[in-house]
Amino acid sequence: MKAGKFPLLYPTASFAGLLFVLGAMWYAASSQNSPAVYLLLFALTAVFLVSIPHTLLNLADVTIAPESAKPAFAGQEVSLPVEIMNCSRATRRGIQLVVPGRGGKRKHVDCIPAGKAARVTLRFPAKQRGEHRIATLRLTSTYPLGFVRVLKKFGSSQTYLVYPKPSGDPRLPMHRARSPHSRPQTELAEGDDFAGVRAYVPGESQRHIDWRAVARGQPLMTKQFAAEAEGSVHLDFSALRFHGAEERLSQLALWVIEAERVRRPYSLRLPNTEIAPAVGEAHFHRCLRALSLFPGKEGA
Amino acid sequence: MSNSRNSRRTQQWRDTTIPRRPLLWLAAALLFTLPALLGTLASWVPFLFLFALVLKFWMEPRGYRLRSTSLKLILMALTLGAIFLSYNTLKGIEPAVSLLTVLVSLKILEAHTAREFQVMVTMAWVLCLCGFLLSQDLAIAFCLFVAFALLIAALVQFHRGSSPGAFWLPLATTLKLVAQAAPVVVLLFLLFPRINTGFQFRIGDLHAAMTGFSDRLSPGGIEMLANSSDIAFRAEFPDRRTRPAGPMYWRGLVMWHCEGLEWRAPYAPASISDSSRQYPASDKAIRQRITIAPHGARWMFALDRPFGIPSGAMLARGNYLYSVQPIRKSRRYEVLSSTDPIGKELGARERREALQLPASISPAVRELAGSLAARNSGPRATVASALQFFRTQGFRYSLSPGEYNKNDLDEFLFRRRTGFCEHYAASFATLMRLAGIPARVVVGYLGGEYNDLGGFFLVRQADTHAWCEVWIPENGWTRIDPTTAVAPDRASLDLSSFLAGRIASGEMATGRTAFVTQLARLPLVNQIRLIWEALNYQWDTRVLAFDADVQDVLLTSLGLTNSGPFPLVMQVLIVVSALLIIYAGWMQLQTRPRADRIQALYERYCQKLARIGVQRDPWEGPSDFAKRAAQSLPNASECVRQITETYIALRYAPGPTAISLDKFAKEIDAVTAHR
Repeated sequence: MKAGKFPLLYPTASFAGLLFVLGAMWYAASSQNSPAVYLLLFALTAVFLVSIPHTLLNLADVTIAPESAKPAFAGQEVSLPVEIMNCSRATRRGIQLVVPGRGGKRKHVDCIPAGKAARVTLRFPAKQRGEHRIATLRLTSTYPLGFVRVLKKFGSSQTYLVYPKPSGDPRLPMHRARSPHSRPQTELAEGDDFAGVRAYVPGESQRHIDWRAVARGQPLMTKQFAAEAEGSVHLDFSALRFHGAEERLSQLALWVIEAERVRRPYSLRLPNTEIAPAVGEAHFHRCLRALSLFPGKEGA
Repeated sequence: MSNSRNSRRTQQWRDTTIPRRPLLWLAAALLFTLPALLGTLASWVPFLFLFALVLKFWMEPRGYRLRSTSLKLILMALTLGAIFLSYNTLKGIEPAVSLLTVLVSLKILEAHTAREFQVMVTMAWVLCLCGFLLSQDLAIAFCLFVAFALLIAALVQFHRGSSPGAFWLPLATTLKLVAQAAPVVVLLFLLFPRINTGFQFRIGDLHAAMTGFSDRLSPGGIEMLANSSDIAFRAEFPDRRTRPAGPMYWRGLVMWHCEGLEWRAPYAPASISDSSRQYPASDKAIRQRITIAPHGARWMFALDRPFGIPSGAMLARGNYLYSVQPIRKSRRYEVLSSTDPIGKELGARERREALQLPASISPAVRELAGSLAARNSGPRATVASALQFFRTQGFRYSLSPGEYNKNDLDEFLFRRRTGFCEHYAASFATLMRLAGIPARVVVGYLGGEYNDLGGFFLVRQADTHAWCEVWIPENGWTRIDPTTAVAPDRASLDLSSFLAGRIASGEMATGRTAFVTQLARLPLVNQIRLIWEALNYQWDTRVLAFDADVQDVLLTSLGLTNSGPFPLVMQVLIVVSALLIIYAGWMQLQTRPRADRIQALYERYCQKLARIGVQRDPWEGPSDFAKRAAQSLPNASECVRQITETYIALRYAPGPTAISLDKFAKEIDAVTAHR
């Protein structure tokens, strides 16, 4: 990943404390004409000065490689795994990684040995649906003494998707089923027949997580049940009676999740796209992606 | 419900976030600042400080801390009141240092965030500063510099993060920083202009801690110093590094006023006018360089007798050095002395003063003095018979002769006959005056310990000595040491060896236990002591004596003062920045990744492919990339496969490979041909 030309260097808050101490020492030394206090003053000054190149070089030959961020629903957290690589021949310590302007916490990496890499996961809130670009990532460090901070900017073309926030009526729209092959349905009952598990998608209800599998140390999986009702469900943007596009998208997102959970084939129809009925993880993400990229009030 | 509230409250109490390790370093640093402050703090403050530290380490793992504001205020008010009660004031440096220490103690109990850790470190620096203001003794300075290093280690540990790691790691980083900082410190210390702010604050009662004799020789006065190992001064002989022949009598001050067993020096001695001074032949002059420890009074020391006058001093009547200013800090001077007696004639006023006697002399003493003078004709014979009197009449030399009053001359001469040098000197001089011989008492030091490493003599307060001078017309003022009549070894040895000898032969009891005395006489211990003293000397002469005036002399000799302080500051800053750039460059060279020819060649190949149209993604492994490249460039697929295989073999094969780098280079050069 491409780094900015020069690392920036600026004083931290504890530099103010240092200035106060140095001022006090200088005042005491000069008013007492005391060589011992001068020695202390110069020792502290010199250690501070020498720490500057140490801090500055603490990020030399350290680069980052962001991996692709998993999509998340609006209102939740995006997690962006980033690999911090130390290409130098020295151990680098006390490094922090932050995505500016996203309100996430900075991530600390205590130590990366020479020639090794560390993997951290940045988490920041997903605010708006759409495709977002991570313009810059920042590595900072105040090691060893914390009086100055070095900052290295990395330009990035990495993007991540934020799906619309699922909300609305969880009942699937039966009466709108227009498939010629589907039987008329009065209600979509949750099926009792266990049909298998699939990977948990952040944002879905936690009711169906296979907690026993989690207890065994396996990743989060959602249990799926075959609904009694067969046939596909049509999710149509224009058929919804809400006013706002965002509300409709939220409702559609919820239905996509619900339909996927009960493993019922579903099709999606937006003014600009149409996705044929299907079921499965790829289809699920394809639909949500279409919802997320729907033109309109969309995050940059 | 109540259970959950309880647990939430417990949670609230337990939110310390300062990791344990930096706190340990910080605590160690704070402990090392304590010795410097001990003498100044109110007696209960160190206990509070230690208690706070211990309590913190009890509270910290349990997550407790001092959080109630009202409790903090109450504690603050209590301690403030206690400080006021201890000192009866809140002004001055001692209450201020106590207050600061108390504040640090309370802060220790309260602190829990990263910012508060920084505040604690800042306070610890200020404690270091206070320590240096209060004491500049080498042992104290050593402790403070250890505290300084530990504070840096605490910062390093703090910024490293909380992951487990070797305990010595922050220490290694600290040592590296300190080693790199050392040249900068020397440069700044020597050359950075000491701009005087002109605003002084006096640190109270500094001279209370100073030791030395007073301008009054009273019975028991020198005895008190005899057990003091404080340093009086150090002397070097720059011309001849050997000690001068004979015992070294270091002249301090001359006492003229007699009150029997008590003698007194003039309050404001008159200086000897330049014309009446006599200069001895220059080849007999002994040059000494003396570093005097602050004693708060104004006399300065030189070998008996000084004639060259260092700056800031005068030669007082009685041929002793008298400083213009009280000596409140370590001072270094050069002085010339001559062992020849000085003085060709005694003025009428001086004779009168040198024969002054108190009215309270008893008839028995007058009779004794008369008998000493009557039996003989000349002053020399009188002196000899008086010494004979001391030698033969059962007088004893003792560190603990019992108490005498200033009128107890009879008691000493006729009954107890036990005394220390001051008793002998005072009574002898009084007897001489009674016998009509002008006499005076000189107080100073006798002997000194030679330090091989430093090449100097160390004279301690324990070496304080008093002797007499009598006027012998054909000779001038002549030194007579009546103590040698009683204890002949005393003049040739310094007091501690003399006493050690006495103790060994069972003649004297001692305050020290036999074990300590034995230990002190072990060669190794002695060696360590000598090294420590040499270090002390260097610290005093090279660091403590290098004040603004000395720096001015150095800068002038380097020709750097012509242009004022600001160009000098700029020059120093330029040199320091150059040094920092050198450090940065050196560290960069040390840590830069090694140029890797295989990697460089492979990257050239990737660039070539990128020009053709296949860009390698940074996360793409070489095999994956090769597959993709082969798909999009079917013409070059064979070549790509070949190169990737060679690359993988060169880079990842466990053992040495037979493939030469040149072959790899040729393969890569051939890439464009396959286009």
